[in-house]
Amino acid sequence: MLKEVINLTLLQHTIRTATPLILAALGGLLTQHAGILNIGMEGMILLGAFFGIVGSYFFSSSLAGTLLAVAIGILVGLLFAYFVIDLKSDEFIIGIAINMLAGGLTIFLLRSIFGVKGAFSSPDIVPLPRFNMGFLEGIPILDTLLNNHTVFVYVSWILVVLVYVYLYKTPYGIWLRAAGEFPEALETAGVSPRKMQYISSILCGIFCGLAGVHLSLGYLTLFTENMSANRGFIALAAIIFGRAHPIKTLIAAFMFGFFDALGIRLQVVGIPSQFTQMIPYLGTIVVLFVVAKSQLARKKRAIEGEAHNE
Amino acid sequence: MAEKLIEMKNITKEFPGVVANDNVSIDIKEGEIHAIVGENGAGKSTLMKILYGLYKPDSGQIYFKGNPVEIKSPLDAIRLGIGMVHQHFMLVPSFTVAENIVLGVEPRRRRIFTDYNRAVKMTEELSEEYGLKVDPHARVESLSVGIQQRIEILKVLHKGADIIILDEPTAVLTPQETEELFRVIRRLVDKLGKTVIIITHKLQEVLALSDRVTVMRQGKMVGTLKTQDANEQILAEMMVGREVLFEELEKKDVAREEVLRVNNIKARDNRGLLALRGVSFSLHSGEILGIAGVEGNGQSELVEVLTGLRQVEEGTFTINGIEATNMDPLQIRELGVSHIPEDRLSRGLSVDATITENMIIGNHRKEPYAVRGIHLNRKKIRERTKRLIKEYDVRTPSQDIVAGNLSGGNMQKMIVAREFSFDSKILIVAQPTRGIDIGAIEFVHKEIIEKRNEGAAILLVSADLDEIFRLSDRIITLYEGQITGEFLNKEISKKEIGLYMTGKAKGLN
Amino acid sequence: MKKEKVEYLISLFLSIFAALIIGGFIMLANGRNPIVGFNALINGAIGSKYKIATTLAKTVPLILTGLATSISFRSGIFNIGGEGQLYLGAFGAALVGITLINLPGLIGIPLALLVSAIAGGLYALLPAILRVKYNIDEVIVTIMLNTVAVLLTGYLVNYPFAADVGKLGATEIIGEGYHLSRLVRLSTLNTSIFHVIVITIIMYYLLERTSIGYEIKMVGQNMNFSRYGGINVKRRMIFAMVVSGILCGIAGAFEVLGVHYRFLQHISPGYAWDGMLIALIVKNNPLGVVLMALFFGALKTGSISMENATGIPSELISVIQSIIILFIAGEAGFKDKIKGYFARKRLSKKAGEKNA
Repeated sequence: MLKEVINLTLLQHTIRTATPLILAALGGLLTQHAGILNIGMEGMILLGAFFGIVGSYFFSSSLAGTLLAVAIGILVGLLFAYFVIDLKSDEFIIGIAINMLAGGLTIFLLRSIFGVKGAFSSPDIVPLPRFNMGFLEGIPILDTLLNNHTVFVYVSWILVVLVYVYLYKTPYGIWLRAAGEFPEALETAGVSPRKMQYISSILCGIFCGLAGVHLSLGYLTLFTENMSANRGFIALAAIIFGRAHPIKTLIAAFMFGFFDALGIRLQVVGIPSQFTQMIPYLGTIVVLFVVAKSQLARKKRAIEGEAHNE
Repeated sequence: MAEKLIEMKNITKEFPGVVANDNVSIDIKEGEIHAIVGENGAGKSTLMKILYGLYKPDSGQIYFKGNPVEIKSPLDAIRLGIGMVHQHFMLVPSFTVAENIVLGVEPRRRRIFTDYNRAVKMTEELSEEYGLKVDPHARVESLSVGIQQRIEILKVLHKGADIIILDEPTAVLTPQETEELFRVIRRLVDKLGKTVIIITHKLQEVLALSDRVTVMRQGKMVGTLKTQDANEQILAEMMVGREVLFEELEKKDVAREEVLRVNNIKARDNRGLLALRGVSFSLHSGEILGIAGVEGNGQSELVEVLTGLRQVEEGTFTINGIEATNMDPLQIRELGVSHIPEDRLSRGLSVDATITENMIIGNHRKEPYAVRGIHLNRKKIRERTKRLIKEYDVRTPSQDIVAGNLSGGNMQKMIVAREFSFDSKILIVAQPTRGIDIGAIEFVHKEIIEKRNEGAAILLVSADLDEIFRLSDRIITLYEGQITGEFLNKEISKKEIGLYMTGKAKGLN
Repeated sequence: MKKEKVEYLISLFLSIFAALIIGGFIMLANGRNPIVGFNALINGAIGSKYKIATTLAKTVPLILTGLATSISFRSGIFNIGGEGQLYLGAFGAALVGITLINLPGLIGIPLALLVSAIAGGLYALLPAILRVKYNIDEVIVTIMLNTVAVLLTGYLVNYPFAADVGKLGATEIIGEGYHLSRLVRLSTLNTSIFHVIVITIIMYYLLERTSIGYEIKMVGQNMNFSRYGGINVKRRMIFAMVVSGILCGIAGAFEVLGVHYRFLQHISPGYAWDGMLIALIVKNNPLGVVLMALFFGALKTGSISMENATGIPSELISVIQSIIILFIAGEAGFKDKIKGYFARKRLSKKAGEKNA
């Protein structure tokens, strides 16, 4: 029975499941570096999923869906930024408000636009194209694992690299990180931390929008109520787990995707999945605890070091 | 005759509750080292932050090389060649030295990538040119304060600064690091033709380093002199002297008994450095013991230790014979100690709470204000607040207004009202009249003397020598965490005490 | 103080009004008549005895979670884990109700409430300690713990404690003695509302009339000041957080004992989030919580009738609610911007006069 559960399909499934997590986590880690904790990713993903379907349905193209979702993502990112940065509202109140707004709005629009409750699907919705990497065809394991995924899967990996380069190899990334870590230093250097924070919020909106599109247009072209299903919070967990570093967050996202996919398969064979599903969340708390303890230890050592010098 | 490089005319800047700069005018000549001195709150930092574009003046005009200019942001200042090294360093801790130095003006490869190698090279070249050794690859968070300051200076030089403002540069340096800094400054000016403005309250440094010195006090310009025409006494008088002559306050003879004994206390400050290096003294009922010293020599930490807000590293103290070391604030208060904190806004009150709410703290679990310690008797609390407002002349339309809306003087009177109403036998009073108006100062001083006459023991920490001399029976000088002198008030003069306050003389009676 | 309160109330009414206007526009965009819609909304909330009862029933969990948020936020420690504490509390109550199935109500109900209170309180104690001792951000920890609690109870209700027959994702029905009596036929309004009234009075008293409430308030406003004044900041924060958890746990218990008579896998449609937003809107004032909970409860009940009568989806209410939140959250910032604008105008006028 173990073979039924743990096999290559599981890993393939993991890659699919991890993709929206990766995308959202990339967005969230950008705002994190800019000093903003965004707990509204859940809502942003949901909006992306919905408007992806809308765009694809009405314009018969997944590209249209993607563009629409991205546009909405930019709007939400701007909204978030305006309230948190300019109006100085509490970032998690706005995050919760966005989650609530997204939940209500998507269900409302589901009824108003499509006239259905619960879920919407239609053969007219165009899914995201698959990408076939010809050179992988025929290679035993790699073909199943890596080939013929939705375009966004590959896009997400490319974005990880791009975000890494942006953050650590360009001045703009340095400014972003400085805006979050020590905005005054950036300000006295003549760069506006506010601008950096706005950019990070807009990018987060875009990435979460993409994550949502992958959910609704990726495999089954379907939108269900509350489709984001906690992924926004798992992405948050991945960011914390990965200490907001793109590569480490990617690994965390894969891990969490694995547990998610594992959970579904366990469910199919009748084994309770809840405990594996808990792992990302409990793991994050453990990570926070370990980091806090090590920081305390470091402080203690620093003081003892001073004592030595006297 | 050197040109007037910068002129600031009639600069006024207000913040809520305080006028930081009141019609201040100053000029800076090319190639000079110009010191701006004054006590905390004098407005020196604000003035220079306006010059650097971090603040906008409410009124006034800045001239650069004779032309009027508007400096709306640090970018404008940088463009004029003005650079500022802040008191609190503007360095991103997790970034390397090189990254911090080029922050904002990073060298590029193909326009969008950081050319880190070139940044490193630039850092090395700068380091060579100005004789300030730094390791480009080191992370700032791992470096000592002295080296961090070097990075700040290099940063400023890298942006092409010809005029360098240093804000309290030696506040955090060891004596050796200070020597090193002076060498650097002299080199910058003599060999490289820079102009340096140094903000400080340390008079010996001013005299050792500067060409001219401007004195500010309570937001106003007092005067500018050539350093060769000045000495510590003249400067000190300009810094703290007042126009108003105070009347003599009557002191009664009161029985003296030891109520507080401090034994060889050593304690660290928030950075982990030793702020108190073995302090011992005793305090008696019916006396005011003044702790004189320039701020930053351990006074704050001493007060925190004695009021339960800071742990000691070594040493003990007793209150009425009871061992009180490392007790928490509640226990200390129960031993009969009241505390007027030096920072009223962050510690002495809650700006969002009403006067009533601010007044009751410390009594909020005691009868008759809290029945069985739990149920608040609103009527009694309000009556008490009303009475105290009247007794202590707190000017306010009602007790329900939020404390943040009071003027500084009234905030302080409110705090004094509260702390003095406990009938405590020991009062620890830190900078009690900082930033408040003359009338309020008079009032507070009268109250302190009255408490003394009633037999309370008062520990007075103040950077204001006039205040120390007006109120104290005995005076202790504190320098770099150690007591450098202990005197009876009539034994020492204001001029002499400066020597003890700055560590030039040491002696214990 | 009074002036600021009045200013705030005005902002609050303006926000609600503006949000309703926007809601009206959305109705229009949907091809519906807003006046008809709002009429149906109001009618649906208070139009009949049954409807009023349903509105009141809906306020029960909202008041409790709102009070829970109030006390926690007042002390400066943010309990975002209300959902999780609610779930554990609900399950705890159900557990008592199905295992000690024959206890009479007089013993059983208090016991079930006690267990739910302990469950919620302990679950909140963990993040409180992590924050106070290790300075770990409680916002993230409580969010994570939410999902853990939902998953844990999900497991428990589907495996060890699954009902033998009938519903999926539910426990057995709790013993008769545990059922809280219904007050109005066909509605879910039950005697828990009386409990809630008592709890509200207690919380009001605690927060506004006791030294403990005073200390909590001061800790939330200025920790340095509190410590200086002799308040044990750590103890107060933990206390506030635990009480917060207890209230959420009890909210969960009432869902089981009064509404469903069993534990359900998705027993809460986000009551704790709603409660959080209610508390934020009324700035953690206990009486304000009750009023706003009534308002939200009315909106929720009314929206269902509105949908039945006019076809406007009831989720519009969530949209309106979130818009109100956004306006309120931004209220301080808006005010500052407006004040700043006028201050600058005044200053430039002054400068203009000076130069004249």
